[in-house]
Amino acid sequence: MKINKFLILLMVLSSFFACTDLEENLNDDLNFDQADEVLDAGILLSGAYSGMNGVYHGGGGMWGMNEHSSDEAIPPTRGGDWDDNGAWRQLALRNWTPEQGDVNNSFNGLLGQIFATTQVLTFGPSAAQEAEAKTLRALHVYNVADLFGQVPFREPGEDLLVAPRVMSANEAINLVISDVESSITNLPDGPATLANKDMAKALLMRAYLNKGVFADRAAPKFENADMQKVITLADEIINSGKYTLADNYFDNFAPNNNVISTENIFTMENVAGSRSNIRNHWFCVLHYNQNPSGWNGFATLSDFYDSFEDGDIRKGTDYPAMTDVSGVRAGFLIGQQYDQNGTALNDRKGNPLIFTPEVALVETGNNLEVTGIRVIKYPIDYYNGDNADNDLVIFRYADVLLMKAEALLRSGGSAGTALDIVNEIRAARNTTPLAALDLDQLLAERGREMYWEGIRRQDLIRFGKFLDAYQEKPAVGNERLLFPIPATALAVNPNLVQNPGY
Amino acid sequence: MKLKFDYLTKCLLLLFVVMGTGGLAMAQRTIKGTVTDAQSGDALIGANVLIIGTSAGTITDIDGTYELNLPAGATEIEFTFTGYASQRIALTASNVYDVKMDAGSVLDEVVVVGYGTVRKSDLTGSVVSVGEEDFNKGVVVSPDQLIQGKAAGVQILNNSGQPGAGTTIRIRGNSSIRAGNQPLFVVDGVQLTGNATRPGANLGDGYSNNASSNPLSYLNPSDIESMQVLKDASATAIYGSRGANGVIIITTKKGRSGSPVIEFSPSLGFSSILKKYDVLSGDEYRNALNEYGLTTGNYGQSVNATDEILQTGIVQNYNMSISGGGDAGTYRAGFSYFDQDGIVKNSNLKRYTANLSGNYKFLNSKRIGLEWNLITSFTKEKAPPIATNSGFEGSLIGQALQWNPTSSLYNADGSPVVIPEFGNTSINPLAMLDAYHDNSSTIDLLGSISPYVKLTDALTYKFAYNVTHGVGDRKSYINSWINIAGITGNGVAGINNQRTTNQILTHSLSYMADITSGINLNAVAGYEYQKRSESGLSVSTGGFPLTDFDYTTILQSAKNTTNNSIQPYVNPDAYLQSFFARTNFNINDKYLLTATLRADGSSKFGSENQYGYFPAVGVAWNLHNEDFLSGGAFNSLKLRLGWGKTGNSEFPSGASQERYSVGFNGTNHTAGLDNVANPNLKWETTTNLNAGIDFAVFNYKLTGTLEYFNKSTEDLLFQNPTIQPAPASSYWINLPGKVLNTGVELSLNATLMDSESLTWDLGGNVTFLKNELQDYTGANIEYGQVFGQGSSGATIQKLVNGKPLNSFYTRHFIEIGENGQGVYEGGADETQDFRGDANPDVLLGISTSLSKDKWSFVLNFNGALGGMIYNNTKMSVIPISNLGTRNIDASLVGQDRLEATSNPIKASDRFLEKGDYLKLANATLSYSLGKLGNSVKNVRIYLTGQNLLVFTKYSGFDPEVNTVNVLNGLPSTGIEYIPYPSARSVVAGATFSF
Repeated sequence: MKINKFLILLMVLSSFFACTDLEENLNDDLNFDQADEVLDAGILLSGAYSGMNGVYHGGGGMWGMNEHSSDEAIPPTRGGDWDDNGAWRQLALRNWTPEQGDVNNSFNGLLGQIFATTQVLTFGPSAAQEAEAKTLRALHVYNVADLFGQVPFREPGEDLLVAPRVMSANEAINLVISDVESSITNLPDGPATLANKDMAKALLMRAYLNKGVFADRAAPKFENADMQKVITLADEIINSGKYTLADNYFDNFAPNNNVISTENIFTMENVAGSRSNIRNHWFCVLHYNQNPSGWNGFATLSDFYDSFEDGDIRKGTDYPAMTDVSGVRAGFLIGQQYDQNGTALNDRKGNPLIFTPEVALVETGNNLEVTGIRVIKYPIDYYNGDNADNDLVIFRYADVLLMKAEALLRSGGSAGTALDIVNEIRAARNTTPLAALDLDQLLAERGREMYWEGIRRQDLIRFGKFLDAYQEKPAVGNERLLFPIPATALAVNPNLVQNPGY
Repeated sequence: MKLKFDYLTKCLLLLFVVMGTGGLAMAQRTIKGTVTDAQSGDALIGANVLIIGTSAGTITDIDGTYELNLPAGATEIEFTFTGYASQRIALTASNVYDVKMDAGSVLDEVVVVGYGTVRKSDLTGSVVSVGEEDFNKGVVVSPDQLIQGKAAGVQILNNSGQPGAGTTIRIRGNSSIRAGNQPLFVVDGVQLTGNATRPGANLGDGYSNNASSNPLSYLNPSDIESMQVLKDASATAIYGSRGANGVIIITTKKGRSGSPVIEFSPSLGFSSILKKYDVLSGDEYRNALNEYGLTTGNYGQSVNATDEILQTGIVQNYNMSISGGGDAGTYRAGFSYFDQDGIVKNSNLKRYTANLSGNYKFLNSKRIGLEWNLITSFTKEKAPPIATNSGFEGSLIGQALQWNPTSSLYNADGSPVVIPEFGNTSINPLAMLDAYHDNSSTIDLLGSISPYVKLTDALTYKFAYNVTHGVGDRKSYINSWINIAGITGNGVAGINNQRTTNQILTHSLSYMADITSGINLNAVAGYEYQKRSESGLSVSTGGFPLTDFDYTTILQSAKNTTNNSIQPYVNPDAYLQSFFARTNFNINDKYLLTATLRADGSSKFGSENQYGYFPAVGVAWNLHNEDFLSGGAFNSLKLRLGWGKTGNSEFPSGASQERYSVGFNGTNHTAGLDNVANPNLKWETTTNLNAGIDFAVFNYKLTGTLEYFNKSTEDLLFQNPTIQPAPASSYWINLPGKVLNTGVELSLNATLMDSESLTWDLGGNVTFLKNELQDYTGANIEYGQVFGQGSSGATIQKLVNGKPLNSFYTRHFIEIGENGQGVYEGGADETQDFRGDANPDVLLGISTSLSKDKWSFVLNFNGALGGMIYNNTKMSVIPISNLGTRNIDASLVGQDRLEATSNPIKASDRFLEKGDYLKLANATLSYSLGKLGNSVKNVRIYLTGQNLLVFTKYSGFDPEVNTVNVLNGLPSTGIEYIPYPSARSVVAGATFSF
């Protein structure tokens, strides 16, 4: 009897634990239906804008790949600083590997943005939202094709466990053109922080101008029809009358450039106090003993610096709310540096802080802290500190003008018009007019106008100069016209094929 | 589930009442006698004397004598003692029974395996049993440290010298490419989750990301009777999807029948740093500045910052237990207080434990019984600012190593300098100690209750309900006056809590009988259900109005609203439903067969793979029982062979599901994809082959085991980043490829001298290990991140097919060139290549004990050979570029060819060192005083030294320390980065028995 009672007790006890169907509840996470309730196309679109902040801002990443590999920038290893496992030297020497960090981050970051913009399309966007999403996506697709020569691509709603198909650079640029052309009528007229009609036109200009490059980077052919498109699109922007060359070149990059720039067509918005990485542009160059105390890294090369005439505002100028705050000037910082009171600054060893034109990729001297001419393209936002307000410039009017000039030269159009365009810009920058203009001079002028804006590598490739030797940078082979597909991406997507030479 | 928990509590309360009634059985008569060793005639202390058919009994005292009240109807008594053959004696009219016990069959001890016990001689699998007498002594916070170096094939590394820090335990190598290589721990039948209760802190990675806590640190080592290490599939398959990394079974002490035994054991210890880094003194620094022609950097003083942050760690430990029992049952209650000051200032661990257990039998027939166990623990920890992943500022240890030895740490008024003379980005470690506050408290509970019914003599039904429950709180903040960018003028504070509950319910039927003459069957089958729940809350913010205040009490005043973080979490509950069975056949004590099968269904597995099946078969042949070997040289000779499949399912719940997390981006609510669904996700499978020989010769004076193992782990679990284009998310996948671990283990134990007055035992184990990743087609994954100045994005380990796990992949440093710059293989290309791995090729354990009269002396050594250690501390914290501002490694000066201060900090094999070591981990001298007066039955006093000797060429703190950081889903192994240093300790203690 007692046994029976005991067994009953046991059975009662065990009945608390019914067999489980092994169903898993998510608790603090949402399933798709719940996520769908939270999300809509507008939210996803605003996420697609803010998400660019992780990919387009400067320092390393895509910006570093486009600048440190060129003739305008150098990331020297300075003793205990900036070795970073050789990542910077790889960019400068152009001997990068499929494991290089910036290569990985840019590939994954840009493709992540392609997904983010595609996702907008699955949530019932309005015609305007769809147009913005597709235009933003086109910008990212263009950049992946430019850097890597192939673009993995998913249609909306694809299974994420399935390896996506891969577009060639040609397919990619055709998608860019067709998506942007079909979207343009539904895009807003502005402002510059949104994908707008003029941004779409500028992007199309870049696509048409580089179409032949994407087809054959080593020996690009520029079709007349494409060049005519560039000229037509440029004229539409010019004739809109919305843009003029800025009185002060650096207004385009100032903390309040969203208000005072007369050139900016499309910018990545930085929100003071919350969302911004723009400070990298000055932290990467300023010396420890400047204000703000920087990371004492990147410089430009003296060959490039010497291509500027004295008086060219782009070469350097005092800038309000910066030079009077800290002594730091806009443009190039060379020679003795001062604070806002004109007191000469010293380096950490107590020697005068004199930035020298001489710079080596691996600095070994006792003056390794001070070598290299520093570059302040974005005037420092002292008011907002680390989360600065300067919007990152992606397309601006001067670029549109220079692209038109280039298309004229390449299509056998009016060389005189092209020269006038360049001299119009040079006049605005307070430097002397050129007497004549050929492609080499145009490339040089693009350098002076667009330096450190993340476009130099693409320009050098289009002008057939990228592989050349530059100061501190030996010449490299054809395979360096493309970056390698990251090893991690190859391993998970069999549709990707490693670029030749890697 | 709350209902059930209440039920458990009530049951336990009921049992306390029942327990009080034990020992009241009426006595008919009293018998007594002495138990001695048949050969030496020595008294056997602590031998069990049991009345057959009851649970009543006693143990022998210091003189080997016992006294026992016989209940009515008692007919037979049994004498048992570990290492001796048990004896049964039929009771006669005599009241005196002296027994001489024979150490003849040492192998006949009973070994705890999953869901039951087997005689050691019946084992077919690879099981190492370590009893209390062989445990490591000294300052031992967590039970895993008790068996460091004691079992072949088991490597136990301390992740940090901090009191209560976690360990890295590898049984027969690394099977998994990712985290989740720790074995399963089972305490008195309760499977643990392996998660520590102390939550992480979130003041910013570089400061509060200290080494993980030890998930076992709530268990009082003094309550532990024995630990069994189950190494091969034949032994671990009964744990199915959790058995692949091996299983460590912890058995706590239980009461024995007889009059109450009270034990009290206090101890007091002192710890100091084991080994310091050799950095420059003030004068050496001045010389170095002269040598380099540097005119700045000398501030005139001579200070040793490392000494200033260290202290003598005082360790107090008090254990008290009472145990006993009677006819109807036994009980034991153990209580302890442990208080350890670490060797770094501001580090302390205080622990209070209570461990209550009992066993009751009901009915006259004793066919119904109840076992129960309750372990509770309260721990308070104070941690210093030592992070595993600090940047160039270093955490406390780095700050001390870097401190310019000519610059005073103190202001004239005795307060610590805040802004150092030699650079405002350097941090005074003493100021850091004052500014940093990190206090946590955890409560852990382990409860089990298991009634059983002997349905027949052979068949027993057992039910068990187990629960482990942990609640952890952590409060941390950094004062705003410290000179750390972002914290200066703001301050940061965070409160974290965490709550984990794991419930297990088991029904099992066990059968043990001779089915025909000569064939014995020992079988168990059962059903098990587990539910694990985890939740917590993490809050952090910054920007406080006061420079010196406990910010965790005024979080509401923080102004940095954009840095506010409120992060509650409730992980998906994990359910595991299992069916298991095991049979042991013993034919004539010659031929043994063990067959095991477990089916595990888990809510974590993908819908296409809900159940995993884990079979194992083991056979063994007791050759010494064959006629052709009987009477030969072998007292025992056994061949064993085992094969089986086990699983590793240590991945988070929700891993197979599509999951979104919801948030707010400043403008809109958003939902981001956290995890991509993988309906095919399953456990990692390890196929295990084990072959072994156990032998005993020279009348058991030499015993040993030789084993070969081959473990092949497939379906490698990995958290892959999504295949782009995709959201920044990840998915769990079973990657193709296999991790192969092979090795040979040899254990030998010899009794070198054995006379009445002197015994000398010598034992040792050696393990040869090999590890390789094969048939792997996934991505080559870089991990092993190095930290510090100039090392952003630098990694030194790489996962590649055909190489061992934990392989180092970096540059080859040739020399310092004539210009003082480093010269690397490949010139400007600085070719990276494989430079060895962190896995030891050989593990060593040696122990010897010498007893003479009442003295005994025990030495334990352990060591490892063939593994490499990367000294990230030396590379990044004290490089030559510091000269002129901060301190440097002493070996950099006085060289024929001076390294230029401009030589970049660069990851290379220059900092890869041989990790070979041999440690005198333990030396204990003890003396038994015997009886003191009438009330004290025995007193034993001892003196233990820990880490007294270390033989190594490794230049860092300790070759046995492992700073774990995870990158790309892979945990680093074999990298030292400014860890909490290891200690050398001396402990004096005593044990009183009443």
